[in-house]
Amino acid sequence: MKKISVLAILTVVTVTLFSFKPLIGKLTTTKTHIKFFSSTPAEDIEAHNYKSIGTLDTQNGEVVFSVPMQSFEFEKALMQKHFNSDKFLDTKTFPKAKFVGSITNLSEINFEKNGTYQAHVKGELTLHGKTNPLQEKISIQVIESLLKTTGKFTIKLADYGIAFEKGKPSTNISKTVDITIDAEFQK
Amino acid sequence: MMAKVKLIKRIGLVSLILMAIGGGIIYYLFHMPHRNVQEAKVDYSLKASDIVQEYLSNQQEANQKYLDSEGDSKILQVTGLVSDISEDFNSNIVVLLRSPRDSAGVSCTFSPETNKHINSGQLGKVITVKGVIRSGASFDPDLSMYENVIMEKCDVQNN
Repeated sequence: MKKISVLAILTVVTVTLFSFKPLIGKLTTTKTHIKFFSSTPAEDIEAHNYKSIGTLDTQNGEVVFSVPMQSFEFEKALMQKHFNSDKFLDTKTFPKAKFVGSITNLSEINFEKNGTYQAHVKGELTLHGKTNPLQEKISIQVIESLLKTTGKFTIKLADYGIAFEKGKPSTNISKTVDITIDAEFQK
Repeated sequence: MMAKVKLIKRIGLVSLILMAIGGGIIYYLFHMPHRNVQEAKVDYSLKASDIVQEYLSNQQEANQKYLDSEGDSKILQVTGLVSDISEDFNSNIVVLLRSPRDSAGVSCTFSPETNKHINSGQLGKVITVKGVIRSGASFDPDLSMYENVIMEKCDVQNN
């Protein structure tokens, strides 16, 4: 008699536990791609970084990206040196850039249902030691257990203390640059 | 008259040579090759745990020591336990060298030429990896987690 009731209780408890859908919570990914693009009449400059870390909290909408600046790669070695130098991004002094923000329309996104959602993200970008507010739209595509996120925004280099008056940089690098972020999260 | 022509010819020749050198310099700068990490001399040979501890005790000092102001940062030869093998967005293999008692490890990204030198059989084994450091280890309060030392352009060293 005792054996059966213990078994019954265990069964009820186990079934109850498994009937709840697991809450997703905070997701982390290293599967990211950040592209930096600048266009001027003189030339187009493009750099790619695959070493950023991103976190996305599906419960409170918090989004954080940490970017190791020396992982940006350019086709031209000389351009990569200039990018890292203290005349431009000074990556030895500021080795990481960071975005901290949150999704303001979290209720419009259903992380459990396949589909594409437009998330409005509001936060702050810290680059070259300077922090400025940044708002962007991120597209979140839910495909089963995969969350594919992609966002594109523009930043003004002067806002981050990166300004230059004369010489090659002023003609070859535009004052605003386009940043594209792609990140894949696993639920 | 003859002397003047000779002088003009000489000046002309020197100018041509200078222009050729100038052109050569410009061409080289434009097409300057990226440093070949695997062929470069190793700056530091150390254990994964050691560099992680160095960074966690004094991040500023470690950055001064390991990073270069133009991005050609130190070439490291790191030995550690393979705790994870994954693939990044660019389809390159990423090996995490991390001892279970450390809060962070050394993340090593391979390249199209060296990806084939890593296989799942190496999980749990101690290996030595040579690569260039891109950023150090630290606890990030916004991410609420430890970030690993990041190395790229890696390959396995046979030790």
